[in-house]
Amino acid sequence: MSLKNTLAPFSAWMQAFSKPFTVPDEPGVRPGAPRYRGWHINDRETCIGCGTCAEICQNVAIDMVPVDEPTKGDSGLRPKVDYGRCCWCALCVDVCPSGSLAMSNEYVWVDHDGDAFRYTPGVDEKPWDGAELGWRKDEGFDIVDHERVPMGHLDPEERIHTWAEVVVGYTEEEARREAARCVECGLCVAACPAHMHIPDYIAAIRDGDDVRALNVIYDNNSMPEMCGKVCTRRCESVCSIGVNGDPLAIRWLKRYVTERFDDLKSVLDVDVERVGEGRKIAVIGGGPSGITVAYYLAIRGFEVTIHEALPQLGGATFFGIPKYRFPMPSLEKQIKLLEDAGVKIVTNHRVEGDELRRMLEENDAVFIGTGLMKPYRLGAEGEDLPGVVYALDLLRDKNIGREVEVGERVVVVGGGNVAIDAARVSRRLGAEVTIAYRRRIVDMPADDEEIEDAEAEGVEIIPQAIPLRVERTDDGRLDFVWGPAEMVPSDRGRPRPKLIEGVEHHMVVDRVIVAIGQSADHSWMPPDIAEKVADAKGWITVDHNGMTGHRGIFAGGDLVNDTADAISAIADGLRAVEGIQRFLGILPEREETEPEIPVITVR
Amino acid sequence: MQFDSIEEILDFAIGKEMEAHDMYMDIAGKVKRPGLEKTFLELAQMELGHKARLEQVKAGDLSGFAAGEVQNLKISDHLVDVKPHPNMDYQEALLFAMKAEQRAHDLYVDLARATSDPGLRELFKGLAKEELKHKLFFETEYDDVILEGN
Ligand SMILES: Cc1cc2nc3c(=O)[nH]c(=O)nc-3n(C[C@H](O)[C@H](O)[C@H](O)COP(=O)(O)OP(=O)(O)OC[C@H]3O[C@@H](n4cnc5c(N)ncnc54)[C@H](O)[C@@H]3O)c2cc1C
Ligand code: SF4
Ligand code: SF4
Repeated sequence: MSLKNTLAPFSAWMQAFSKPFTVPDEPGVRPGAPRYRGWHINDRETCIGCGTCAEICQNVAIDMVPVDEPTKGDSGLRPKVDYGRCCWCALCVDVCPSGSLAMSNEYVWVDHDGDAFRYTPGVDEKPWDGAELGWRKDEGFDIVDHERVPMGHLDPEERIHTWAEVVVGYTEEEARREAARCVECGLCVAACPAHMHIPDYIAAIRDGDDVRALNVIYDNNSMPEMCGKVCTRRCESVCSIGVNGDPLAIRWLKRYVTERFDDLKSVLDVDVERVGEGRKIAVIGGGPSGITVAYYLAIRGFEVTIHEALPQLGGATFFGIPKYRFPMPSLEKQIKLLEDAGVKIVTNHRVEGDELRRMLEENDAVFIGTGLMKPYRLGAEGEDLPGVVYALDLLRDKNIGREVEVGERVVVVGGGNVAIDAARVSRRLGAEVTIAYRRRIVDMPADDEEIEDAEAEGVEIIPQAIPLRVERTDDGRLDFVWGPAEMVPSDRGRPRPKLIEGVEHHMVVDRVIVAIGQSADHSWMPPDIAEKVADAKGWITVDHNGMTGHRGIFAGGDLVNDTADAISAIADGLRAVEGIQRFLGILPEREETEPEIPVITVR
Repeated sequence: MQFDSIEEILDFAIGKEMEAHDMYMDIAGKVKRPGLEKTFLELAQMELGHKARLEQVKAGDLSGFAAGEVQNLKISDHLVDVKPHPNMDYQEALLFAMKAEQRAHDLYVDLARATSDPGLRELFKGLAKEELKHKLFFETEYDDVILEGN
């Protein structure tokens, strides 16, 4: 061993007495840099529990934990961060669609309890809650594109001269680009009445696998092309991307996939047990609820017959919704699938008299989805004059192919989808159209896009207009007399219109189209059965299986739910599909914890 | 119409409530629509409630009367009256009830106008207000159910 090596430990010791090169310790902790990525903070109120932060975290440092009761558009979960795993990359902050998640610039924290380093920001109180400094998503920066791929529409001037579809539809490239915006949080699934597997089919579209997307869609919706065109899209209203940007165009993506395939049977890969062999089901009413029941029971081996009063299935989506929104070939394709599944379709057959009783004897169960077919009356003087018509009749006549005339000038009374459809159809028939609505435009139950489209097509909307009477003019036209309304507060929510007396406005028109609403008509049922299933308003109450107060009679659609749209009718149909199987002992009774509208798949 | 005392007026009003009760009972026995019989029976029951309230007033308890202003939505004012018939539906039932309450209200307003006795006038006004309250009940239902989309 050399002398140098022998003395080395002593010379190292000598260094201990020389001036240090490092900066001496300062009292206290130095503050983090202004944009330091320290402990997380979360605004509990703004966070929607979408879980996108947990999804993106590469270290699996975030768990979503229940904190509040789930509500529409909020899962009630909040992210809990495990600092044994977190590497402070801030990806979670950068992706957070609501912008609720951030990081403080605090980084020092001493605790003897290791578990303390797993906490739920915004829920478990911390000294750095509300910190001004730290890491925030940069203004205008987002990992996810906030802008929706725009949808092409026919020019309004062109539209009113044609019955062609107004919406053009996405190209393949546009659909893939739009689908890539989805963060797959799934908030939309809870909001969709039928609980469609939305993130799954959007992911399949993004991946270029349209066949998979179509199969996922048909898991629990057998009229998706209709929904892809006219759905009220409750899903989009809760989309997490919509909090700070445009929600995903879920409806248009569904439309894109369903339009791609003409022969559905050859693409759909149905694999469910035929548990219903030898059992018979009668469905009364061929609307979306009836079609849903028929399809999902038929593929399970049940012998299903649909009885429909009109010459075509589809219900209000056939006789009500105009063809420029939902064209006939789209509907026919979906009916063809029903036939391919083995459903027996009897059209032009209104079930009446004692038939229901007979059907109950000859079938294992009966489903009623006869909708709301009776328009409410205007109730004002002059209603019975020729030229005062009901929107439902007008739309039905047009859709069935009858000659329909509305003259040069039309007033539509009402503010829902039916009123808007009647107005836009009248525009296409060549009339100048005004909508008279009792409340404010914000109160209109019609879809905002529909209202915009109608206005773009030249429909004038007069809000707070109360119809007073209709009179005949000397030259055989109609004088629609209305009065202005003031809005008065109500203890039950939206304010109510009240007539301002002493002012009358006159509008000379050729047609007054009444579209104030519709109710159920049960005059086709034997009275003793009607008494058991329906109330005075015509509504039918069902249990968690979709069964009415009469054993073996199930019901769904507009006469059961209070949302009266196509997807809710489909959801009611799905409930009855499971309910009928439970009633017949094929499926076990529903557990308390199971959702009432089942989440089903047929693959 | 001539009344000599408050008692007489209240007896008249109580008689009117009984008439309304009997009329609703009669219609309940005739309507065919499921559930509507129950609706009319409930209406008849309600009239008995009104009658009881008036009896309270007769016994000297004025708290039975509607206090404060009663909202008048004026929905029924420009709607056409309907005649009860066996195939009535819910809309017609509401229309009928609104109109009946409107008529009762108008009657008391006329009586209040016709009398010169300030005490009687106040009583008639109170009765008119009661009827307006009943009308408001049906008008609210009409606004919520029938006119939901309008
Ligand atoms: C003009 C209009 C526009 C609409 N627009 C939209 C929209 O944009 N988006 C949306 O989601 N929803 C829309 N809706 C509502 C939607 O169409 C309905 O919610 C849905 O169709 C209800 O389905 P259902 O199963 O209750 O039956 P319905 O569609 O109401 O169909 C009931 C069927 O039963 C038949 N029937 C009745 N009685 C008998 C009998 N005794 N025997 C045999 N058959 C009988 C009828 O002929 C009818 O075909 C619209 C409705 C209308 C009228
Ligand atoms: S991504 Fe944002 S909004 Fe979604 S759960 Fe995480 S913190 Fe909440
Ligand atoms: S569509 Fe919107 S709500 Fe649905 S999973 Fe995608 S990001 Fe979430």
